[in-house]
Amino acid sequence: MGVTDRHHGSVMSHNDQPALSIRGLSKQYEDGPLALDSLDLDIPQGSFFGLLGPNGAGKTTLISAVCNLIRPSSGEIEVFGHPGSSLQARRLLGVAEQEANLDRFLSVREALLYHGGYYGMTRAEASERAERMMEVFDLTDKRDTRAPRLSGGMKRRLLLARALLHEPRLVILDEPTAGVDLELRHELWRYIRRLHEQGTTILLTTHYLEEAEELCEDLALIGGGRIVARDTAKGLKESHGGGSLEDVYLRTVGAGSEAGAHG
Amino acid sequence: MNDTPRPWSGFAWLAARECHRVLKLWSQTTLAPIVASVLFIIVFGLSLGTRISEIQGFDYRVFIVPGLVAMAMAQAAYSNNASSIYQGRSDRYIDDVLAAPMRSWQMNLGYLAGGVFRALIIGGAITAIAAPLTGTPIENPLLLILAVVLLTIGFGSLGTVVGIFADSFDHTSFINNIVILPLVFLGGVFYSVDRLGTPWEQISHVNPLFYVVNAVRYGFLGISDASPLLSFGILAAIALGLLAWSQYLFATGRKLKA
Repeated sequence: MGVTDRHHGSVMSHNDQPALSIRGLSKQYEDGPLALDSLDLDIPQGSFFGLLGPNGAGKTTLISAVCNLIRPSSGEIEVFGHPGSSLQARRLLGVAEQEANLDRFLSVREALLYHGGYYGMTRAEASERAERMMEVFDLTDKRDTRAPRLSGGMKRRLLLARALLHEPRLVILDEPTAGVDLELRHELWRYIRRLHEQGTTILLTTHYLEEAEELCEDLALIGGGRIVARDTAKGLKESHGGGSLEDVYLRTVGAGSEAGAHG
Repeated sequence: MNDTPRPWSGFAWLAARECHRVLKLWSQTTLAPIVASVLFIIVFGLSLGTRISEIQGFDYRVFIVPGLVAMAMAQAAYSNNASSIYQGRSDRYIDDVLAAPMRSWQMNLGYLAGGVFRALIIGGAITAIAAPLTGTPIENPLLLILAVVLLTIGFGSLGTVVGIFADSFDHTSFINNIVILPLVFLGGVFYSVDRLGTPWEQISHVNPLFYVVNAVRYGFLGISDASPLLSFGILAAIALGLLAWSQYLFATGRKLKA
């Protein structure tokens, strides 16, 4: 059974537009660091894009800016050609944040149902999709369980199910496998791969380099609030003197590197 | 599903979520305040009321009912929104709403609906219990509805603002315990300020919640310590001012988004 039923090409298609286009994006937190520094980024439609970088490099700030969760200091964001803050752009985005930010008062089914409603679905549509997502993510047995009573792995599944419920065309996954066991990690990889095969554009952040190499077609390394390198895993290795992706990572954004010292 | 969301959907679902929360936590959100207010009516009205002379033509036990209803509804609307929004911010599940394709007014009114719903349940229940116990009339039903609408909008919006600014749960209860409750008490819930001497009577007229209590009392009993027009005017100004403030916070993302 598919993670999404959407035929991506048939709904409000902007085939000539990148899924995500970012120009000169900066974010200076009040009394805090410059988290993003005139960052430019284009992610083509249908790609599986990985964003790698150390803690504090700007990954979560970038995602939060795209998802309308922080106020950028400057710059422009477009999602499939729509301004980032527009309702159309937000409708096309789905995000599973790093933190298990689940509504403590709602059961699994209710969390999915209300999410669908917030994204403009009718009750019948939201209910049908909630059933489908619970089935896909093996949450059916937990349908009446409230989020605080779920295990860590179940919370991760629910976060993904919620992010995908409204059939977004661009899915942002912020460290979706952080802190999960190996078995669940591979299970989540299968879900995400299937999603990508169905035409969804994916932006994945992760600290696991082998995960990025295994899943992503295109990788960017972020350090000091800027994209410091971008290519396929093979291309990155070749252009940075060979070795493993870990070597490239350490040379470009790891501790002691020029970019890493920024962040 | 269309890529352009239906305009009222987000508001309706968020309002439903907020009302759902009130019902799920019914013993805290509705039962406790109803019991507290009914105890006030029994202790102050029925037990002590016979020893206190009539106020403006009404038995004391009747006179205090509108103020108690106003006080309970104001606290309910405020507490509901302050705690719901603070919890959403603290646990970050408010992000699911902020990231959704909803306009700022849909978010603001969606959250407000929970406070209004909770206040209406409490106000309705206290009235339903107190009216037969004390014989409290409703002299001006339309004006009572207007007063209740403005009161719940005003205090619900205040809860929204405090929920957005609060850095801890203590902040939300501080405003309730140190600001709202004393000002409502001093606004004449249990007495007519006409009976206070100078300068306390004049000082009472500076308290904005005095006009809130009197607008509701005018709806119930047709009496007021201040001009009804002035009471309703000040209540409307409070409600619209606080609604505009909460709307500004949702529209700009101030304190909601870093």
